Amino acid sequence: MALWLMFVLMTAAAILAVLWPLSRRTPVHRGNDVAVYRDQLDEIERDRAAGLIADKEAEAARVEVSRRLLAAAEAAEATLETVVDSPWRRRAAAVVGLVLVPLIAASLYLKLGSPYLPGEPLALRAPGSQDNRSIAGLISQVESHLDRNPNDGRGWEVLAPVYLRIGRFDDAIKARKKAIDLNGETADRRADLGEAIVAAANGVVTADAKTAFERALVLDAQHLKSRFFIGLAAQQDGQRDKAGEIWRGMLNEAPPDAPWLQTVQRALAELQTSGQPGPNAQDVAAASQMTEAQRGDMVRGMVANLAARLAQDGSDVDGWLRLLRAYMVLGEREKAQAAAVDARRALANDPDKLKRVDEAIKGLGLS
Amino acid sequence: MIPELGHYALVLALALALVQSIAPIIGARKNDPALMRLASSTAPMQFAFTAFSFAALTACYVLSDFSVANVYQNSHSLMPLIYKFTSTWGNHEGSMLLWVFILSLYGALVALFGANLPAALKANVLAVQSWIASAFYLFILLTSNPFLRLANAPFEGQDLNPILQDVGLAIHPPLLYLGYVGFSIAFSFAVAALIEGRIDAAWARWVRPWTLSAWMALTVGIAMGSYWAYYELGWGGWWFWDPVENASLMPWLAGTALLHSAVVMEKRNALKVWTILLAILAFSLSLIGTFLVRSGVLTSVHTFANDPARGIFILGILILFIGGSLMIFAWRAPLLKQGGLFAPISREGALVFNNLFLVSACATVFIGTLYPLALEALTDEKISVGAPFFNLTFGPLFTPLLLAMPFGPLLAWKRGDLLGAAQRLMVAAALAVVGIAVVYVAEGGHDLTLAPFGIGLALYVMTGAVIDLAERTGLFRLPMRVVRSRANGLPRSAWGTALAHLGIGVTLLGIVCETHWGAERIVALKPSQTVSIHHYELTFDGVIPREGPNYRELAARFSVRHGGVFVGTMEPSKRTYGSRGTTTTEAALMTRGVSQLYLSLGEPNADGSVAVRLYHKPLVLLIWLGAVVMMFGGALSLTDRRLRVGAPQPPRKSPAAAMPVAAK
Amino acid sequence: MTRRQRRLILIGGSLGVLAIAAALVLSALRQSIVFFNSPTDVVQEHVGAGKRVRLGGLVKPGSVKKGDDLRIEFAVTDGNSDITVNYQGIVPDLFREGQGVVVEGVIQPGGGFKADSVLAKHDERYMPREVADALKKAGRWQEGEGTTK
Repeated sequence: MALWLMFVLMTAAAILAVLWPLSRRTPVHRGNDVAVYRDQLDEIERDRAAGLIADKEAEAARVEVSRRLLAAAEAAEATLETVVDSPWRRRAAAVVGLVLVPLIAASLYLKLGSPYLPGEPLALRAPGSQDNRSIAGLISQVESHLDRNPNDGRGWEVLAPVYLRIGRFDDAIKARKKAIDLNGETADRRADLGEAIVAAANGVVTADAKTAFERALVLDAQHLKSRFFIGLAAQQDGQRDKAGEIWRGMLNEAPPDAPWLQTVQRALAELQTSGQPGPNAQDVAAASQMTEAQRGDMVRGMVANLAARLAQDGSDVDGWLRLLRAYMVLGEREKAQAAAVDARRALANDPDKLKRVDEAIKGLGLS
Repeated sequence: MIPELGHYALVLALALALVQSIAPIIGARKNDPALMRLASSTAPMQFAFTAFSFAALTACYVLSDFSVANVYQNSHSLMPLIYKFTSTWGNHEGSMLLWVFILSLYGALVALFGANLPAALKANVLAVQSWIASAFYLFILLTSNPFLRLANAPFEGQDLNPILQDVGLAIHPPLLYLGYVGFSIAFSFAVAALIEGRIDAAWARWVRPWTLSAWMALTVGIAMGSYWAYYELGWGGWWFWDPVENASLMPWLAGTALLHSAVVMEKRNALKVWTILLAILAFSLSLIGTFLVRSGVLTSVHTFANDPARGIFILGILILFIGGSLMIFAWRAPLLKQGGLFAPISREGALVFNNLFLVSACATVFIGTLYPLALEALTDEKISVGAPFFNLTFGPLFTPLLLAMPFGPLLAWKRGDLLGAAQRLMVAAALAVVGIAVVYVAEGGHDLTLAPFGIGLALYVMTGAVIDLAERTGLFRLPMRVVRSRANGLPRSAWGTALAHLGIGVTLLGIVCETHWGAERIVALKPSQTVSIHHYELTFDGVIPREGPNYRELAARFSVRHGGVFVGTMEPSKRTYGSRGTTTTEAALMTRGVSQLYLSLGEPNADGSVAVRLYHKPLVLLIWLGAVVMMFGGALSLTDRRLRVGAPQPPRKSPAAAMPVAAK
Repeated sequence: MTRRQRRLILIGGSLGVLAIAAALVLSALRQSIVFFNSPTDVVQEHVGAGKRVRLGGLVKPGSVKKGDDLRIEFAVTDGNSDITVNYQGIVPDLFREGQGVVVEGVIQPGGGFKADSVLAKHDERYMPREVADALKKAGRWQEGEGTTK
């Protein structure tokens, strides 16, 4: 409420700035050039007195400046005579101030602003400032501890999820790798590494991440997190049947009170409703809170990841199709063209796949 | 609430700017006092809103409000308070907000202190100023909005680029912007004059204080940027002919030319069209600078983010204002009444000479900066035009300029006495020759590089400035009593001119000494080893790990001895900023007089040794002190009563009462 | 002196200065331009030894060798070709394996590169633009070869 009150007061101030000069009837203060020339005359006199210029030149200069002074005075008189004070124009300007100023301000602000988001200065953050301070403090404490004892595997394991939580994904990946090196390999640790890589890639299960999850499944074939992400990878690769199969398998085996049940159900539901394979539910939720530009960046990030993966492994024909479509949707025709060339080259040894790609390329209007 | 209020204030500023863009111009055309007066009240209000908006963003930074995306991306809760404060403009969005904040500040100043301006001129100036403001408000709101929010505020920010975590950020950008944006006033005056189709000597006097204050800020801003790069980047260089540096140098050159041509216009009613063109050019070059730096066309420390949409928007603003103003110029300038011509040998002639060389130098910098970009756009060929190009073009153009500089103030208006001026400068020339000879002999006679001549030129320029003052006060010629009274009577602008010219000589002296006699050593040292440079011995005592608020650093301690006497310690360091995983090199400086020892660290080697880069930089501080002297010259000139257009008239003669019209 | 003569002097003088400036620019451009090349450009276009160029790419992982007297040797790669670079001095803070780098120097007769300046990016978030472009160009070929991996 206070916010809107402030908005009203500010708008009133802005309108006042327009109306106030219109309401006054004082004669306009006429600053003028006459004063300037008068100054110049004084200056010439000073210079002459100081002996800086000769009398003759001073006289010539004085004549010249006087001529300009007279002209300026005449001009000033002329303007004064033609002063027009039109009440009609005043009223029009007042209407502009009263209507247009608030209209422009309100419409633009409502489009751009987020009036319902409260400010969150660090000191006022719930649940109290101490917590946040201590998170940052904790991180730097553990970091400096690890600086001195880089072989403390437990330290890395403590730090990794914190990094992940505050969005320092690359550090999280590093910490996870360290933990594996120092503490030995387990399915959990491999899966955690994979999860960090996925987070860093904006939710795309990259080839690296997939390797990590597959490794985890070698160590423990029933490992849940890894199975979920392998399913996600399949979904993102366009193999919806395979993804559904994996997730349904998980649901069938699940105890009824398993905490991850909902996540998998949601993923599965989405798989069935949306025809297009897409980012996972969390990404979608995150995307809905983003601005247009940020969303564009996210999409571009995913496309870049896909392109990178295809550069490593070009045999995935669905991936190529998705990449081509994505470029066309993003309006990046040149890139699509280049990707088409790459796809053909990558699939040259596989006539079936090549045919599919060729058809798609034709369908998209690429050559 | 704070960020939303700031956001709304910015939107309101835009709304007011739009009204102010149109109403006063109509008022000026129809000679309607009410509409003309409108600008005088909306301009300060616009400033109030941008100031509020800027304060709101600053508050978000200081309070670490990470629900603001911009704060989240460029701040960290553990940063020292001063950097939280300065990181407000240590990023693209915030720096653009600072830009419009300063723009509206100038607008408000014209509105409040321009009481002496003719009403129509003032209305037009403020309207044109508002065109620029509207374009930039829109640019900020639509492409670079610092007030965009995050629904779920992250716990911690991503930190400011460590290179920017320095007091330099508190000084350099605000000063530079005061300079860049200050030229917008000269630009607005020029366009207003073109719209009115009337321009006279008085116009030049009104424009001068604004140009002068912008020029002062730009001078020191460039110098501070150079000093910052010098100590922060750790390479010991102070000017790299980097495109971004050139982008600030070009408006400076054009602005310096404008200052001088405005004098001719004011005193002699000549060079009118040229002065207008220079006013347009100076601000256009500022805009080009903003475009180069902000659009991501160039990659440098100053490029905070590359976003093509922004580049295109700024390019649009650029084309609109530069193209538009040049078109108005082409259309209206021929209608302006031409001023008189004058003899080549005269004060006017000297100032034209100055303008020619300054503008040519500016053009070479322009070509050197933009040619690679144009070539790449046209042929896809990538080239770099480096320091050699600028040394080869800039040097030869500046030498005649500096040679002629002391002549200017000694020549009379209208018809000068070249021979007389030359005679008066004999002392300076003699001193220069002595300087050249001394350096030549001291260097063993075999050194024929530019150093002796550089020293000679610097001495000549500095002495020339002193001679100018001596001539005006009659020092050495007249009795002391007369000298004193003459010195008192001398307008402050005359002192200012001499001081600014002296400053150029000081800077030149610093440049020549630093480039020619500076020594550099790069060595790997183990603890307790000693390295010597120019009579100094530095002993590496050891390494000290330290903990800063948001970084960890490894400092190396060195004891410095000069001729065996201990003079102090130096502690260069390497800092690691955890949040970005970045390392920065913090050079250590030891100032001895105006010379400096400069020490920066490289990577530690496996064998326990540390690589160090050590410089001895003789008289290096003169480079920047010269710029400060120039600024003081400008400030002195600015306090000249005749230039303070806005100041209340002395009561002796009220201008209105003195007007023949009123007497009638 | 007549009005006409004065005007001629003014215009003549201006043109003279501009001509001098133009001549300076042209001669300086001829002498001091440095071309930017990627390692592939250098290899394929056989940029001659002794020519001064700027070379941009990534520091090849595992290629950095430090020697005595601050000598350092590393390979600059764009994914297709590598060029071995020798440098003596202190490399910038952000010089790291796998990161973008621009070096300026002279190509040696043996195919190596002797650098006299090494530039890394200013900020870990951004890649030097020239390097990014060079890699993009090279990256396209790399994608084609992806099937063999």
